Amino acid sequence: MTEPTGLPAATSAAPPNPNAALEVDHVSRWYGNVVAVNDISFALGAGVTGLLGPNGAGKSTLLHLLAGLLAPSAGRVLVGGQSAWRRPAMYRQIGLVPEREAVHPYLTGLGFARLNAQLQGLPDPDAAAARAIAIVDLTEAAGRPIGTYSKGMRQRAKLAGALVHDPRVLLLDEPFNGLDPRQRLHMMALLRSMAAEGRTILFSSHILEEVERVADSVLVLYAGRLAAAGDFRSIRRLMTDRPHTFTVSSSDDRHLAAALMADASVFGAELMGGRLAIRTADYDAFTRALPQIARANAVTLFEVAPTDDSLESVFSYLVRR
Amino acid sequence: MIVVGPIVGVTLRGMLSRRRTILLVLLAALPVLIGLLVRVSGGRPDADRVLDTLVVRTVMPLVALIVGTAAMGSEIEDGTAVYLMIKPIARWKIALAKMLVAAGLTSLLVVPAIIITGLLLGGRTDPMASIVGYSVACLVGGSAYAAAFMTLSVFTSRALLIGLAYTLIWEGVLAGLLEGTKFLSIRQATLGLAAALGVNVPGGQPLSPEVSVLVLGVVLVGSFLLASWKLARFEVRGGD
Amino acid sequence: MSDPSVPPAGGAPTSARGPGGSIYDLGYQAYTGPRLGRRSAVVALFTQTLRSSFGIGRGGRAKIAPFTLAALAILPAVLAVGFASLAAQAGAGGSLSDASPIRYETYSGLVGVLIMLFCAAQAPELFGRDQRYGVLPLYFSRVLTRSDYAVAKIGGLMAALFLVVVVPYVVLFVGRVLVAPDPVTGLTNELGQVPRFTLQALLVAGLLGGLASLIAAWTPRRAYATAAIIAVFIIPPIIVAIVGSLTNQDLARAIVLFSPGDVLDGSNAAIFGSIPDSQVVAALDLAGWVYVGAVAVEIAASVGLTVRRYLRIAA
Repeated sequence: MTEPTGLPAATSAAPPNPNAALEVDHVSRWYGNVVAVNDISFALGAGVTGLLGPNGAGKSTLLHLLAGLLAPSAGRVLVGGQSAWRRPAMYRQIGLVPEREAVHPYLTGLGFARLNAQLQGLPDPDAAAARAIAIVDLTEAAGRPIGTYSKGMRQRAKLAGALVHDPRVLLLDEPFNGLDPRQRLHMMALLRSMAAEGRTILFSSHILEEVERVADSVLVLYAGRLAAAGDFRSIRRLMTDRPHTFTVSSSDDRHLAAALMADASVFGAELMGGRLAIRTADYDAFTRALPQIARANAVTLFEVAPTDDSLESVFSYLVRR
Repeated sequence: MIVVGPIVGVTLRGMLSRRRTILLVLLAALPVLIGLLVRVSGGRPDADRVLDTLVVRTVMPLVALIVGTAAMGSEIEDGTAVYLMIKPIARWKIALAKMLVAAGLTSLLVVPAIIITGLLLGGRTDPMASIVGYSVACLVGGSAYAAAFMTLSVFTSRALLIGLAYTLIWEGVLAGLLEGTKFLSIRQATLGLAAALGVNVPGGQPLSPEVSVLVLGVVLVGSFLLASWKLARFEVRGGD
Repeated sequence: MSDPSVPPAGGAPTSARGPGGSIYDLGYQAYTGPRLGRRSAVVALFTQTLRSSFGIGRGGRAKIAPFTLAALAILPAVLAVGFASLAAQAGAGGSLSDASPIRYETYSGLVGVLIMLFCAAQAPELFGRDQRYGVLPLYFSRVLTRSDYAVAKIGGLMAALFLVVVVPYVVLFVGRVLVAPDPVTGLTNELGQVPRFTLQALLVAGLLGGLASLIAAWTPRRAYATAAIIAVFIIPPIIVAIVGSLTNQDLARAIVLFSPGDVLDGSNAAIFGSIPDSQVVAALDLAGWVYVGAVAVEIAASVGLTVRRYLRIAA
């Protein structure tokens, strides 16, 4: 399983990496003045990779570029070593599960899978469709029109359609959107098992926990740029190593502030209009120390809130690095 | 080429929603109803003129417009076009399948309407010449319209409106103004073809048979080529 | 007029604390200032609809269709004025402007198709979007009533159509006044036309706008609405023409009043004292006031039915 590379490459075009199922080389895509994807490079092999980023980061645009549904404004997008744009033959190896809800509502689940199989030119579309439906666990409802499906079932129908031709590469745009916990677990298990068979899977999400559970490696996108790439745990550590700020409201702010400054994990405390703002470098240690210190000094804590824990602040921190 | 079959199937099923089917059937039935009305009230109208006004000028372009823009346009608009585009199918095959549906459905609606209406109206001399002439001309002309509008809907989401403007303003106004631009009108080419097949076409000197066939041929082939070209460069924007 | 359900005066922000949790104070304060009320809401919606009819406030692409059609509608008037002034300079004078095919009484027939296309292009956007995107509940939960909403929207479209129809007439009018040997005689000659073309413009805007609103309100999907509007405008005159060419004129008389294009043709002839463009309508020989009355009735009916649609729509 190859690690995704997030290092800035040399300015001259590198030869395509034969080991990489998906490769993106200094790719940018803009619409007039708006840059949706800004100079991104990476190469992916077998395994599950999560594309993480807040809404508007360019995840969908990147997936559509990889799926040959958008032309890159600059750079190259390569699937299996060859350009993704304007090469319909590529679709034999690639499956896409788009984000948009729209599926032909009058087709049954099985009918939709069969249509995809026929359009793929498979020799036995019925068998392929039945197999795909079984993989996504939709056999019971496969005879009903998709218009009657719940959101989770519709996602699975779309996935079945993308699996009929047994693609080597699978691209999923926000596949966990709107799924309930049980369906989410099922989808995660599915992705993991398919990756174990040697497929390259890239899925997008804006929820950290989802990516954490499924992906071996992660690509973090923010405002069109690649903010981080690589093993998830190391990135997580990077993200938690940054300075944190907390807002605390207690029965005796000043006393608490003095006590906290004595602790090694705290490097700043500030009284601000009825509240206490604490700056700490060590998230884990601080969250353990705070209640103990408060109790030891007979101070009651009313409110403890991290003030910059949003994904946006995390990403912007990463990007500034 | 067998892949063209499923494309045709799914296009047809998507196009013939209840509302659209009713609208199309009503439009195609309109000439028939008028024919009935005329017959019942005992009039002796000029079939050539009536078929021209009713079908060639109105029903044929409208049906072709609705069918042509829906063949590719409805899928693009509701987002299901993606599933067709991410398949290893040569883009010209997709264009061909869509054109076949558009042209075929248009002809299927327009030609029987002409035949039945023509029979009901009865010409002053020999109705069969008019019926056959208009049927063939509208088969080709309607297909040309449908192909052109289908290609237009690949390029823009406002194809219906532009097609309407073309039919009503350009082709409608042409009738009164510049003789030299007659060949830029599918309507005139259709009428020219009909005239070559023996129909007494109203409204001045029709286009010569050679020019008519050429124009219709150019529209058909050109639409196919343009659609194939654009589909090869088809872009679907993502959500974010 | 203050909202009685809101506690008076901007009090201090509060938070509540309990044993199980806290309600955080985010500084939210209810608005306690003056509120403009229903009439302002209606006027605001009306102006917004009027602007949207021309694509103003909706980005560049939305302006293409309405402005192109409006420009094409003005074009003949500008050309006529241009030619008339050239002719006046050359000395031909008033006779040329009378001989020109572009006159007050012929204008409605010339640009009728453009107005119909304008309706077919814009009405589905104005009425269909709110329904498709499910924002009707946002409108209806305001002080604006359902019928206010419908009337404001219809009014906006009709006002836009009126502008598109009347401006070419005004251009003709101004052109003729300026081309006349001296402005005073020109003014006295042409002044009589002003109430005429204003009335015709009102009838055209009212009828075509009302019908387009009705169809668009019933058909949220843009493609269907456009097709249906055009069908309703251009097919009836064809039917009337064919039926009218038969010997039995009574049937034609019965249905001509249901054909928007022909009814406006008849009213135009009645107002300007000219002959209708369509030979069939001329042959029917109905009194002028019948057409004008029919237009008025149809306007009222289409407005009423559109309002009824919005009174009953689920939102």
